[in-house]
Amino acid sequence: MKNNTNAIILFLIKLILGITFIYAGYHKIADPAGFAKILYGYAIFPGGSINILAISIPFIELIAGFCLIFNILSRSSLLLINTMLLGFILMIGFNLLRGHQFDCGCFSFSSQPQTISNIYLLIRDLLLLLSGIYLWMKTKTGVLR
Amino acid sequence: MILKEIKGTFFLIFFALVTAFFYNHFSPSGIALFGQWQTSNGVVNAISKTDPVNASIEINNPEIIQRIIQKKERMVLDVRPFEFYEEGHLPGALSFPLMEFDIVIGKLLEMTDQHSPLLIYCSSFECMDSHNFATNLNGMSFTNVKVYPGGFRQWQEMGYDIEKNEK
Repeated sequence: MKNNTNAIILFLIKLILGITFIYAGYHKIADPAGFAKILYGYAIFPGGSINILAISIPFIELIAGFCLIFNILSRSSLLLINTMLLGFILMIGFNLLRGHQFDCGCFSFSSQPQTISNIYLLIRDLLLLLSGIYLWMKTKTGVLR
Repeated sequence: MILKEIKGTFFLIFFALVTAFFYNHFSPSGIALFGQWQTSNGVVNAISKTDPVNASIEINNPEIIQRIIQKKERMVLDVRPFEFYEEGHLPGALSFPLMEFDIVIGKLLEMTDQHSPLLIYCSSFECMDSHNFATNLNGMSFTNVKVYPGGFRQWQEMGYDIEKNEK
């Protein structure tokens, strides 16, 4: 019974992480120019790398999300997702610390102002990362393949 | 143990990169490998197949813009939303919000003709509204349209005169 509950929780975490990354990747693929501008707004990346990142990141998110859900190299995709989440947290945190205003472009880059606060984004990514680390540790012990 | 996962991660990244660059090459919304991210070269943009930016119509020098305004060499159009225009705009500029293009174009045609010299600006180097407006005008056979890429923000940072609350 307890094992069943654990398995359901782990499955749900996997589903949430996978769908989050598929969705995040999908809408960026639809508008790479918009995502590139968001990356420019972070004021972290050198100009020469912005377009390369704007083309690459959405597909890495999409493929990692799909692979996690469909159990294709699932631990590798989870490692990739956790690494990306750590990267996002560091970038958002760095900009928050230096007081730089930016639009994360996580799920939408409409012309409307970003209504979700950057602190909320940081907390959301931290929760996702904690879930990802939990999933990583549990899959390591063989509870979920 | 972890080595296996790391190898798998590199494989996933490689697969994603191949797919990404292949897709970007053929996608109608694809972007160039290197964008234009230097404000010294005008409006920043990813150089996509759909971007309206035309660097050849930009006057990227606030001093020249100041002279144009002082000598009234061009009709100046502020294409930001009216609320921003009300808060402050370049001296002599008229409000022609891009979002209301279909409405304001009639007003513009009443005030001028397609060969009149126009200067368009929006908020900053990050804003493409002025280029969108210029593209629309060029599509209507306007022949002398220029864009000030630095927009209101650069004008303000230069400490030049600003007009307020005038339509």
